[in-house]
Amino acid sequence: MQASETSHDADPQSLLTFGIAGECFAIPVALIHEVIDPLPVTPVPNAAEHAPGLINVRGIVTPVLDIRRKLRMPQRSQQSDGGRLIVLELPVEEVVTRVALAADTVIGVVDADGLTLDAVPELGARWPKAYVRGVAQLDDRLVVLLNTETLFSPDENATLTS
Amino acid sequence: MTGLPSPTETFIEEAQEQIEGLEGQLLDLEKVASPETIDAVFRALHTIKGSGSMFGFVELAAFTHHFEDAFDRVRDGLVVIGPDLINLSLRARDHMQALLAEGLNGGAKALSESPEARHLLEELARLVEREGTTAPRPAANQGAATQDAGRARRWHIHFKPNPVSLRNGMRPDLLLAELEELGRLVTLDIDASDLPPLDALDPLTSYLGWNVVLDTSETRSAIDAVFIFADSADLTITEQPPPHETPLARQGPSATEPGPKVDVPAKSTRQPASSDETIRVASGRLDAIVDQLGELVIAQARLESLSKTIGNGELDTLAEEMGRLVASLRDATLGIRMLPIETVFGKFRRVVRDLSADLGKDVLLVTDGGETEIDKNVIDRLTEPLVHLIRNSVDHGIEPTDQRLAAGKSRHGTVSLVAQRESGEVAIVISDDGGGLNLEAIRRKAIARGLLQEDADVPDAQLGNLIFAPGFSTSETVSKVSGRGVGMDAVKTAIEALRGKVEVVSNRGEGTRITLKLPVSMSIIDGLLVRIGSDIYVLPLSAIEECVDIATLDCSHDSGRTMARIHDHLVPWLDLAEVFHGHGSGESDRRMVIVRADGLRLGVIVDEIIGQHQTVIKPFSPYHRTVEGLSGATILPDGAVALIIDVASLVRGGLASSRKAAA
Amino acid sequence: MSGTILSVDDSKSIRDMIEFTLRPLGYRVIGAEDGSVGLGKFDSEPVNLVITDLNMPVMNGIDFIRALRKTPRGAGVPVIMLTTETKPELKEAGRAAGATGWINKPFDSSMLVAVVKKLAG
Repeated sequence: MQASETSHDADPQSLLTFGIAGECFAIPVALIHEVIDPLPVTPVPNAAEHAPGLINVRGIVTPVLDIRRKLRMPQRSQQSDGGRLIVLELPVEEVVTRVALAADTVIGVVDADGLTLDAVPELGARWPKAYVRGVAQLDDRLVVLLNTETLFSPDENATLTS
Repeated sequence: MTGLPSPTETFIEEAQEQIEGLEGQLLDLEKVASPETIDAVFRALHTIKGSGSMFGFVELAAFTHHFEDAFDRVRDGLVVIGPDLINLSLRARDHMQALLAEGLNGGAKALSESPEARHLLEELARLVEREGTTAPRPAANQGAATQDAGRARRWHIHFKPNPVSLRNGMRPDLLLAELEELGRLVTLDIDASDLPPLDALDPLTSYLGWNVVLDTSETRSAIDAVFIFADSADLTITEQPPPHETPLARQGPSATEPGPKVDVPAKSTRQPASSDETIRVASGRLDAIVDQLGELVIAQARLESLSKTIGNGELDTLAEEMGRLVASLRDATLGIRMLPIETVFGKFRRVVRDLSADLGKDVLLVTDGGETEIDKNVIDRLTEPLVHLIRNSVDHGIEPTDQRLAAGKSRHGTVSLVAQRESGEVAIVISDDGGGLNLEAIRRKAIARGLLQEDADVPDAQLGNLIFAPGFSTSETVSKVSGRGVGMDAVKTAIEALRGKVEVVSNRGEGTRITLKLPVSMSIIDGLLVRIGSDIYVLPLSAIEECVDIATLDCSHDSGRTMARIHDHLVPWLDLAEVFHGHGSGESDRRMVIVRADGLRLGVIVDEIIGQHQTVIKPFSPYHRTVEGLSGATILPDGAVALIIDVASLVRGGLASSRKAAA
Repeated sequence: MSGTILSVDDSKSIRDMIEFTLRPLGYRVIGAEDGSVGLGKFDSEPVNLVITDLNMPVMNGIDFIRALRKTPRGAGVPVIMLTTETKPELKEAGRAAGATGWINKPFDSSMLVAVVKKLAG
């Protein structure tokens, strides 16, 4: 990867690309634990809006993040079926935690080597800047690389105002 | 958690325990200089010294050796136990602790060369009236010396073991075999001159002797080494001389004097954890077992619900039986992890003692409820917060002696630590009879920091809780002892991470009382499953008093009344549909569960009571930890996620919102 | 080399070290944390060698060795005492009580093996 990061990693970062509302997003494969079909979500009352509920993934209670809300996208229409759940395993407040997010489609794995990352121009999107590393061109589409360090922070206010 | 700990890891655990126990023993010694305690201290030091060098903790062993020497003099009555000795010993013990903590990475060397360490050694030496250091004697070298090897020489060896040596396990055959390995046995003759007739023969008495001629290029020491344990034998080793004479070498003394005076303590006090009634278990292994147990509980619940659908009587009985077994296994395992809170209380005696001395105050620590049991994981994480709270009490709470006397108070200040169990929670109260919080100063500071409106009418209890806000400290002088209020918000965070709560009550001039409420167990609870709307929740059984049919009460009014009369008591209620779903239920036939928390009784209204259920608490991730009214989640037999209600938090939340509404 | 070794020491780390060292050589090692437990274990199965600390609670090593020698099977079994004492009296007391040999602490595994080989083959 060029631009914001120095390519000091020996092994190229693989990215998982997935689609939400027709847009293609990407996060590092290293954080992904598994991809599963949707599960019933138990809502947590009075919870923060970006973490509305919990699912049971083979015995592990996993919080589901409302990624559409985080990226300021409209909620999914009720009728649409399908979609996938991406279960990640990553450090949250220094403890390794499982977290799930809902995607419409899961596209595939992409080699990050050789991708040029551009910053999102002002007014270029409604997505909070803190959550987006940048955009890259992959074949004929725009891939939005998400910032997994900030995206999964439980304290939304702190992240967005800093 | 794979495999068994290495002997070194076991040593570190053992040494840690002994060093911790030493502190209590030294404090005991200060009060009563009993010979048993002195012995116990000596033996602990002795053991740590010995094992320490075996497992590579060279500096720890060397330092402990000096400490042990000093205590040897105490044991012999040559040194009197006074506060100076105890202070020195406590500092020495702390140094041992630090050396052990450095591990084997080389840090211990630097630490042992620090000025503090040298100072300690000097003081210990002064105590012992000895100059310089006496290093522990190196291990006896049983290997051969390197003198004069290489040249083959001939030796005449006469070996006649002491008659009792067979009884004492000697194996002459092995000794002869060892000799043979050194070279070549030229001749071997048996000396049977003392052999009695067969009927007088005692098979356990040694009668025989051997005469050996050995050719070997090994050294004389190598031959001596073969007989190193045969010092009571009749032994001569002679080199077949070249033309000139060689003096006879006689090995070792003949029969040793019996009955020496040995001061070996036969019975002495031991720390309970190492007695032969207990066993040491790495707490990580216990955690792993509890986790597995949690899964077992879930699996058994699924089995039971599955068997109900199948409807086979035998299977039902079996599933129920398994349920009983799992329940008692669960109770037993959780019980293992429970420790009396006394284990934490013990440390504080030292804290108070040292602090009082440093500050020149006279403070007494009083504890109660030490036998209250609480999960080990919780205890481990409680120590730091409690230490901080106690230091605060002694430092900022208790006034200097002259101030106390002027205020008509007793000369000594009292800090008290009380633990008590109530409905699934443990309450720990730290209180002092000092000057209390300066609520005015707190109010002013809070306003200055924008935490409070100028004209806000905040009750005193709330003001007190402000001290837990980050960076909040109203003491004008930064005490070097407890710092600048940095700790109080850390205390709050630590307690909340344990799913507990902190509260402060203070009266100016009289004292301050800080109450910690903590859950008793972190993992499995018996709960009541209830339904609210389409979601299932769990109410901890330990908090439930009874269930009541609402139809018999009169709860449907919109009149602003939220209480009912139940068994001659007025019980306030809370509609969980309102609390959790934000709106009323609309169902008829609702039920009310009377719960108790924080000393208050409350009726929570649910749509349906489903039944009792054992649940494994899956604590919340950071995303949901701060949600009010809930303490975690669990997985039901059908795979659905149910939320566990935190009754105490509901009550507190309910009180808070009603106050808000009333204001 | 084979057989059963009874190691008697109140320090589990030392008992573990003894077992770790001797088990790969083919010995079966059983442990006891003080002399009285040691006597019980010695009674309950055939033991080819005893290694015992001297400084233990409940029943110390010297008393243990003395009591062991009085039991019917206790005479004749090799007994190694572990001693940090470099004071001769304690060692002498051990010998008088019936110890066969000794190892000074601190010892390493090669020293242990050497003495075990010497006394038990």
